[in-house]
Amino acid sequence: MSTPRTELSTTTGVRLPQHVVYRVFPAETVVLNLDTGTYHSTNPVGGRFLEALERDGTIGGALEQLCQQFEDEDPKVIGADLQAFCVDLSERGLLEIKDA
Amino acid sequence: MTRLRAVVRDRPDLCDRAHRRLSAAECGRLAAEIIVAYVLVRRMIHGHPLPTLLERLRGGIHDGGVPVWEAADEHITAVRVGRAVARLLPKLPGDTRCLTQALVVTRLLARRGIGSTVLIAVQPGPDFEAHAWVEHGGVPVLTPGAPGFDRLTSL
Repeated sequence: MSTPRTELSTTTGVRLPQHVVYRVFPAETVVLNLDTGTYHSTNPVGGRFLEALERDGTIGGALEQLCQQFEDEDPKVIGADLQAFCVDLSERGLLEIKDA
Repeated sequence: MTRLRAVVRDRPDLCDRAHRRLSAAECGRLAAEIIVAYVLVRRMIHGHPLPTLLERLRGGIHDGGVPVWEAADEHITAVRVGRAVARLLPKLPGDTRCLTQALVVTRLLARRGIGSTVLIAVQPGPDFEAHAWVEHGGVPVLTPGAPGFDRLTSL
């Protein structure tokens, strides 16, 4: 597991570890850490963040996708939310954050 | 041009194998095997991540995804093992719920050289529930998730 950090740049790479699986449902996204057997869930917005991170593999790429999806929101706010979300996931062993 | 012809064949041999009653000795041996597998699973379940645990229980035997109609004998065995485990395990002390049953079935099938897949499904919401079961060739050999459960992963 990577050491969680609070400052992530747009070129920071992220990766969903192999032992983490998730499924998006209308009201929540359920995440399972196969290594620990622990279930987690995110709200629908978190589910979309997770999909964007997995699709793109970088903070910047995911942010671009999400700004398009949430076009009425301030990109700076989305960026801050995304960063906090990544740190949250990383602290739970659900996301690997790589140096750029 | 070759005419396509659909052919139906009766397979009384498979029916006999599927429904053959085990002798008392065979029942005893199978029950003992299930209990030994259960003890092994219980010892390992808290010390290993699930993927690692499955690898150890399988010993390299994996579900090749062969359709059941091409591996009928194997499938009949898998169904019978699933049925036996589902019947016996709940009578034993300790946690004998779905995941443990799935792991025991996986072990027993691997000992017979039969690959299988463990599936995990969840029912999200305020009454969150998770369920695990085993499939052979894409067909459940333990009770699958009820309606309302959606597959999360297969291992």
